[in-house]
Amino acid sequence: MVYYLIVCRSLTYAQRTAAALERAGIAARILRSPKIIASTGCSHSVKISQRSLAQALVVLKRLELSPQQIFITEADGSYREVQL
Amino acid sequence: MIYLDCAATALQKPPEVARAMTAALGQCASPGRGSYPASARAAEVVFRCREALAQLLGADSPEQVVFTSNATHALNIAIRSLVQPGDTVVVSGYEHNAVTRVLASIPEVAVRVAVGGLFDQAGDLEAFSRLICRDTKAVVCTHVSNVFGYILPIDGIAALCRERGVPLIVDASQSAGILPVSAKRWGAAYVGLPGHKGLCGPQGTGVLVCGGGQTPVPLLAGGTGSESLNQKMPDFLPDRLEAGTHNMPGIAGLLAGVQFIRRKGTDAILCHERRLSDRMAGALSLIPGVRVIRPQEADRRTGVLSFLAQGQDCEVLGASLAARGISLRTGLHCAPLAHRTAGTLETGTLRASVSPFNTPGEVDDLAVALAGCLEK
Repeated sequence: MVYYLIVCRSLTYAQRTAAALERAGIAARILRSPKIIASTGCSHSVKISQRSLAQALVVLKRLELSPQQIFITEADGSYREVQL
Repeated sequence: MIYLDCAATALQKPPEVARAMTAALGQCASPGRGSYPASARAAEVVFRCREALAQLLGADSPEQVVFTSNATHALNIAIRSLVQPGDTVVVSGYEHNAVTRVLASIPEVAVRVAVGGLFDQAGDLEAFSRLICRDTKAVVCTHVSNVFGYILPIDGIAALCRERGVPLIVDASQSAGILPVSAKRWGAAYVGLPGHKGLCGPQGTGVLVCGGGQTPVPLLAGGTGSESLNQKMPDFLPDRLEAGTHNMPGIAGLLAGVQFIRRKGTDAILCHERRLSDRMAGALSLIPGVRVIRPQEADRRTGVLSFLAQGQDCEVLGASLAARGISLRTGLHCAPLAHRTAGTLETGTLRASVSPFNTPGEVDDLAVALAGCLEK
């Protein structure tokens, strides 16, 4: 299944991000960022479905919650950064 | 045993605090350090506690709420972040050693003490206005005196600081959970407080609320579960100030305490504590030779008061009361500056302080016990 990972600078930021998305009706789950995309060593990401990205970005912009990076899963399980 | 030392720590707590701590011991691992359920549960508890505290203490976001081990830890971070050797700082005449000793430990800091008359809000405000000037690097002020229950004019002091561009550190050790505390409304750089007094949490918990735009200096360096490749502490909150494993049972208990406070409401708690304190002051004042020391005006005081009995050593009298089942604090209460301001530095005082769990009967029993001690 294709999904997006919104990489956050801290666990607390990820929790705020996920809570804001859930409040807006977007299913969001916090997970530790896969090592391959955690450029600084350790971070947390918020996982959302492919169809939710546009709405999620609107919600986050309104609340001034800035994602550090966003990745999409490829069919082979790898990750590709999404340039916004 | 009648416990009247709530200004030191809230011994009596809502039962849900112990339940939450026990549950955390068995079910919560380290927040965010792994993908397994016990880590996720811990992260959830920590975030809910940050959110609840942010709402109660007027922080813009949960990230501004930093967990510390007590108020002293929080105030150390705040003061050391703003005050450098040789700086000038203005403090109130009621500060605790958690402030004054920290300032004394920084070389060549000039501490100016702003005092009006005793328990004189207008006088205190005037003194702050006189002393805060261009070379003032920070103002540090307690919200409520831990010795006398005197409420300082913190709104006015905060307004002066905003007007003159001087960072304000508020010690809310005696006010959090009892009076409205708002880092945002005050525009405070930092607000430090314990979790185990008015918030009814366990010992070993404290909170530092960081105002917007602050880059505090960490006291500790270590693992945060974030930016692990970076050998400097992260530049974002709360990670910057929270190195090492969190006190999970403590934070879970603190969350339960904060929820209790929010359910009861700080207005109702203040009203209850003032009523008990007034009753206590009335009863103590009727005992010959006993002098109660607290503000005269009801709106300037909380549920804390000091008293002295003529010709009696406060420590000896405190021990006699303890033998009769009354637990209260004696001596200088780690606040020699407050005693200097009140003229009680030589004698110290006995301090009685109440919580939502005390009853009118208990404060009556204090008066009866004190009269009994003095008759002997």
